[in-house]
Amino acid sequence: MNFDVGLGQYYESDSVIHKLDPRTKLFFVIVYIVAIFVARDAYAFIPLACVLVFAVILSRVPIFTILRGLRALVFIVLFTAVLNVFWTSGTEASMIFQYTVIPDTWTITLYWEGLYNAGLLAARIICLLVCTTLFFSYTTTPIELTDGIETALSPLKKIKIPVHEFAMMMTIALRFIPTLIEETNKIMNAQKARGADFNNGGLIKKAKALIPIIIPLFVSAFRRADELATAMECRGYRGGNGRTRMKKLKMHLRDLFWFLIPVLLLAGVILINIYGNGYKL
Amino acid sequence: MSIIELKNVSFWYGRKTPYEIKALDDISLEIEENSITGLIGHTGSGKSTLVQMLNGILKPDSGTVIVDGQDIWAKPREIGKVRFKVGMVMQYPEYQLFAETVREDIAYGPKNMGLEAEEIEARVSRSIAFCGLTPEILEKSPFDLSGGQKRRVALAGIMAMEPKILVLDEPAAGLDPKGRREILSGIRKYSEESGTSVIIVSHSMEDMAMYCDRVVVMSHARVLANGTCEEVFSNHKMLFDAGLDVPEITSIVLAMRKAGLDIPENIYTVDGAFSALKSLYGKGGQN
Repeated sequence: MNFDVGLGQYYESDSVIHKLDPRTKLFFVIVYIVAIFVARDAYAFIPLACVLVFAVILSRVPIFTILRGLRALVFIVLFTAVLNVFWTSGTEASMIFQYTVIPDTWTITLYWEGLYNAGLLAARIICLLVCTTLFFSYTTTPIELTDGIETALSPLKKIKIPVHEFAMMMTIALRFIPTLIEETNKIMNAQKARGADFNNGGLIKKAKALIPIIIPLFVSAFRRADELATAMECRGYRGGNGRTRMKKLKMHLRDLFWFLIPVLLLAGVILINIYGNGYKL
Repeated sequence: MSIIELKNVSFWYGRKTPYEIKALDDISLEIEENSITGLIGHTGSGKSTLVQMLNGILKPDSGTVIVDGQDIWAKPREIGKVRFKVGMVMQYPEYQLFAETVREDIAYGPKNMGLEAEEIEARVSRSIAFCGLTPEILEKSPFDLSGGQKRRVALAGIMAMEPKILVLDEPAAGLDPKGRREILSGIRKYSEESGTSVIIVSHSMEDMAMYCDRVVVMSHARVLANGTCEEVFSNHKMLFDAGLDVPEITSIVLAMRKAGLDIPENIYTVDGAFSALKSLYGKGGQN
């Protein structure tokens, strides 16, 4: 089994984007997503795309890597676009062509509006994906991200929401993904050596063939969890109360800049929506 | 006669990525039939990769692997059959146990081979005897056993397939000295009685000297030496250069020689050292 997922791999570099505080990135992404969905005028997508391209260039993540990450989602983008092409109705004047499949019941009509809608929705999805993957996975390690979420949500501790515990669970889960993948491969090889066959046979036979993998995997996951808990207790872990950090998150001047960008962007998008004269979604 | 032959085998991990590592570099090697071959080398020298070539878990990027006279990758769809011919016990095999009872777990391999129930039963009893287990254990859950017992059950699971070649990756790792001795001598006995060729990967020079007929030394993805225990262990310099060690008793003998004692340097077992010292003492008494 091959787990070659381009989407969501950290890309090592020391660019400005990498050095941003994870909380800034969270804020940026949230406001940016709001802006994407607020944008209705076709011209509003120009500043949205420009800011994103600017961020990609600054992050020094090769454009090729980002495009490869998008490859996995081409289907979703195409699917949405195609649906929109055929399910949008427009005026008589904007009709491109009409084709009757079954007389009186099924006619396919294509309007210019449909094409515009499809294009803008595709742009929306692509901006959304590039923005989230760039800020959350290519330039931020999972640990930084959970740290950021924890500090950003820490006011919720006042109303007894166990923010620290959730963040810790998330960190541990992320940390153990590669370990479990490696473990799965090892167990699969061991069972293959005993003649296990995962590829042939019907559905039931295939499902049965997984038992010799899943059981040892669960056993070892529980064992690991147990060992980890003991190790954490040995090092004095007793929850988040009074816990200090080795790497304290600190806001810099550049963070202010990246706080302002999405706010200005959102304001700009709203203004274009009102005063712009492009095609409205 | 050689039962396994590797011809110019090379293998990379993560080939054509920035993380490319060459794990096997143009390896040619022959393993003799009915012998116990030890495979030694420091961590990362390519031992585990090499053994995974032998039953087709990994496919060489170039070169051929010939088992029992046949190129195993001639028909890639039938690679499963090679795994019944070459039994492989991975590192820490106890983690692959899954069945409700020990009996079912050991029978898993033979069942996959499509054997009759009676034959499977006979093989299960034979294999546990070689691994030093008693029949009472068969009805227990493998998860209730001790670490050493689990290891033996996993080993029995492969032996029950009665492969022509048995490959063991660090079979004694993490066991106490007694468990070590029992497992290794069980393997030796199994090999002698069934005529199986055995390949053992290990870090322990002492175990190699005790239980193996031949030794293959690997270093930096290449085969450094391949010969009888005597040939390999007498070449101290080569072993030290490869970041390995000679058996402990050999270092003692070497120290004795340095101190001026007239003792031969090609000694690699305690018994050998004992008889050499005895003959030396005998001479001393006469003079």
